[in-house]
Amino acid sequence: MTGPAWARSLTARRGWAVSIAAGLAVTGFVGAAQWNSSVTREAFTSSAQQVLAGQVLELEREQRELRQQIAEAEAEVQRFQEESTSSSAALAQLNERLAAARLAGGLAAVRGPGAVIEIADSQRVVPPGENPSSFIVLVDDLRDIVAALWASGAEAVTINGERLVASSSIYGVGASVLVNTAFLSPPFRIEAIGPEGLLDRFLLNDAFRGRVGQRIEFFGLEFATAASDELTLPAFIGNTRFRWAVPVDEAG
Amino acid sequence: MGTRLAQASLFGVALLIGLLLVGQLRSQARPTEISSLPAQELSQLIETLSNRNRELRIGLADIREQLREYRAAGSQGQSALDVTREDLRRITAFAAMAPVQGQGIILEVDGRLDAIALNDLINELRNAGAEAMAVDSIRITHRSVATQGPIALVIDGVDVGERFTVTAIGSPEGLLATMERPGGIISQLEQFINATIVARQSEQITLPATGLSLAPAVAQPVE
Repeated sequence: MTGPAWARSLTARRGWAVSIAAGLAVTGFVGAAQWNSSVTREAFTSSAQQVLAGQVLELEREQRELRQQIAEAEAEVQRFQEESTSSSAALAQLNERLAAARLAGGLAAVRGPGAVIEIADSQRVVPPGENPSSFIVLVDDLRDIVAALWASGAEAVTINGERLVASSSIYGVGASVLVNTAFLSPPFRIEAIGPEGLLDRFLLNDAFRGRVGQRIEFFGLEFATAASDELTLPAFIGNTRFRWAVPVDEAG
Repeated sequence: MGTRLAQASLFGVALLIGLLLVGQLRSQARPTEISSLPAQELSQLIETLSNRNRELRIGLADIREQLREYRAAGSQGQSALDVTREDLRRITAFAAMAPVQGQGIILEVDGRLDAIALNDLINELRNAGAEAMAVDSIRITHRSVATQGPIALVIDGVDVGERFTVTAIGSPEGLLATMERPGGIISQLEQFINATIVARQSEQITLPATGLSLAPAVAQPVE
């Protein structure tokens, strides 16, 4: 076992050399994998992507302005209606019905008790061979949560401040999520106003437990809930004018 | 001396591996910056956002027209009454509290759709631009959701059988194209749920008002 000193030294050097070679090999492998998905490579391979991203940001900016203008114009319409209330009994009655319809349809800001649900992408490391999209919040997760809330008696729901109304869709483009007209990013905060026990009913509802509830458990999606005594949800801001549907008078 | 150098080298290599691994793991997460989204996804986003912005511009023009009518009418008299009455008709129709009619599409569904599938179908129609919808004679409101009842699917407290009709008012061509596109909702449902869905355009659809009261019981208006 104990050979000459030069032989022991050679063996030790060989051991180090093997260790370093292995380390460098792993470094090379990981480095190559990193290069394949690195920002540097993206910039190198797709300057068109930057142009497209710029267009998305510009459209989002335009949308914020349009929504702001719509909110201001709607407020002005309501001011006209409120001013006219004092001038005629018929108008006053009409405006009362109008306020009730706005409240029922999600076109008025509301406050009340309810539940807050937050969901975000999993923080777990994606194991090799697993689909990374399993570990992020998908549009189906949000749909299931909203369905469970409505089924549990919610009267008003928002996702990241977007009020859901009769025309609202929750739409996925790849991993991106659009609600109404807005492009939303995680974490997603869903707020709902509803009768007492809303959160308990939600957590037991099949629409929640059936799919998103299992994904939270299996893939570790970040998830938190809280009951609240007082939530304030904004009114829907967007187009409420029909192009194709024409109201029919009940009597007609 | 040589051993220390080798240890330092190994430490450096290990550190580098660690840093690269962190970078690699980060790159697997959802892109948080728009610029890091795939080009195809960005193109789809541009198309969708452009369409939504066009709708918003049309809506804004309509509100401004209404404001012009109010200004012309003054704050009292028959004209102001007419403008407000028209606004009430519009908002009750939007909220599904009044019947509506117009062009659109009719989907005849035959098969055991589950609640998720029916909710997805309704969501897809909304996304395609449907302005008003009904499942059989149940007008869909923002609070309507299909759930699995003891015997059948239930929407707003009403049972929905295995064969039912979904009716939607909107651009007939646009709605039909979205529903029938390859890989779209109809082909997905037919493939995975063994359902048959026949879609057709219709020139004249009339949808009833919701049978439910949408007046909130606990939500109060913010003054």
